[in-house]
Amino acid sequence: MIAAISAFAATATAITTSATGTAGTLTSLTVGEIELFGLSNFTIGLVGAIICIFISFYALMREKDDLHRLLLTDLIEVIALIAIALLGTDLAEALILPGLVVGVAELTAMSQIYIVKEKLVREPESYLDIEVMHTAPAIIAVGMLIYGIILSGFTGGAVAGLGMLFYFACKGTEEKTEILEKVSGYAWVMWVVAFIVFMTLPAYWFFALMLAGTGILAKVAIKISILGTMRKNDGSGGRRSMGGNGNV
Amino acid sequence: MYEAMTASVTASMPVSESAYGFTQTDIEGQALFSLPFGDIVNFLTPYTAVLFVFALTFTIIALISKPERQVDTVMGGDAYYTKDISRETLRFQRFMAIACGLATMGGIMAGDVFNFTLFTAFIGITNIGIVAAVKNKHILDNAFEYGLLAMIGTLPLFVGAALVLATTGTLSMWILFTPEVAVPLFAKLLLVIGVIAEGMAPVFVAKAEITRAPGAPYILMVHVSSLLIFLRVIEIVISM
Repeated sequence: MIAAISAFAATATAITTSATGTAGTLTSLTVGEIELFGLSNFTIGLVGAIICIFISFYALMREKDDLHRLLLTDLIEVIALIAIALLGTDLAEALILPGLVVGVAELTAMSQIYIVKEKLVREPESYLDIEVMHTAPAIIAVGMLIYGIILSGFTGGAVAGLGMLFYFACKGTEEKTEILEKVSGYAWVMWVVAFIVFMTLPAYWFFALMLAGTGILAKVAIKISILGTMRKNDGSGGRRSMGGNGNV
Repeated sequence: MYEAMTASVTASMPVSESAYGFTQTDIEGQALFSLPFGDIVNFLTPYTAVLFVFALTFTIIALISKPERQVDTVMGGDAYYTKDISRETLRFQRFMAIACGLATMGGIMAGDVFNFTLFTAFIGITNIGIVAAVKNKHILDNAFEYGLLAMIGTLPLFVGAALVLATTGTLSMWILFTPEVAVPLFAKLLLVIGVIAEGMAPVFVAKAEITRAPGAPYILMVHVSSLLIFLRVIEIVISM
């Protein structure tokens, strides 16, 4: 069998060389330049891959457990990628990525089906609740907020917003998020006004710059901090009212 | 970079037609039109145009139609019940059916062997999605088996494409379809086996349990896509 395969691979390389002969620079890929026992690298790799294929297919045939079969099919997909990688060219490298993506997509879909079919879906009983979430939020949020204001602009908004997000996510909030939305809206208006000033009254560029910097800082910070309030929190210090028994 | 590559390929390749003319296939002859994306040039021949229109029609049907509701009769009595399809299931199945239709159209138009294999793999994934939307133990079991087969199918599919690249140095059908380039029979065989495993066109028996899944126009997409992509791979294999 292996002899037949290597014979095939030899003809394959022979065709490659003949194609190179006729097509000139067409086949710039050099499949198997280094010879070992009269076989090219590509042939040896191909034979190895085919041996792996036989082993994995045999394992798949013997295996009865669904989860193990799923894992073995992933093994088979890896061999497909190896077969592409054997070409050793830039094009092969570019083909591996979509191949990998397809494999991961299929694996994800299949594991989801496996979870649903075996009824392994379970609501988590308690969400993340660690000590740092009770002690640190205030100091970290204040620090990040101050640093964000110093940075100003988009980056500053992101830093400050992250600090606020951490605070809201840990401490919980009773605030109405509509107020935050409203402030964010006004901040956006400030930013737009600043741009109109830039275009119509360029002499006042410094005022416009300050306006835009503040506006975008407030807008980004608030938008990010709203994410923190999305975690339906009753202000009980990181404990979820849903699911857990609340005796932490 | 791409243009330089294409230029060197077209300049060095003794193509039977003009390199800028349309490619010649062995089924229904010359291509009707081409749609270039860089060095990947998609095309439609009269044969694939028919397949394309077919796929488009069924995608539109999946888009606008409501799902059928299966009626089960109770054995030994006059009672019967209709299966209700929840809005959530319907939306997911419809989305997957449309995605499947788009992947089929992509596979039919593909002017590059690797693109063709990728679209075929997408058809496999979306088919699993259409079937797995139904929360029924038997159907899920079957979708799992089908999915395993589709995952294994990527092996011959990708290895076939890799061997085409290794032996000829190109994946473009515009060059592969010329008589100067010989593709080994083994690579062609692997491509066909891969498509069979992904779409399971001739293995309908294995899908018996799948057809039990409610939601007629969407389930139908599984069959249509696998049939069309099988007809397309036959064209590719014969022309190469």
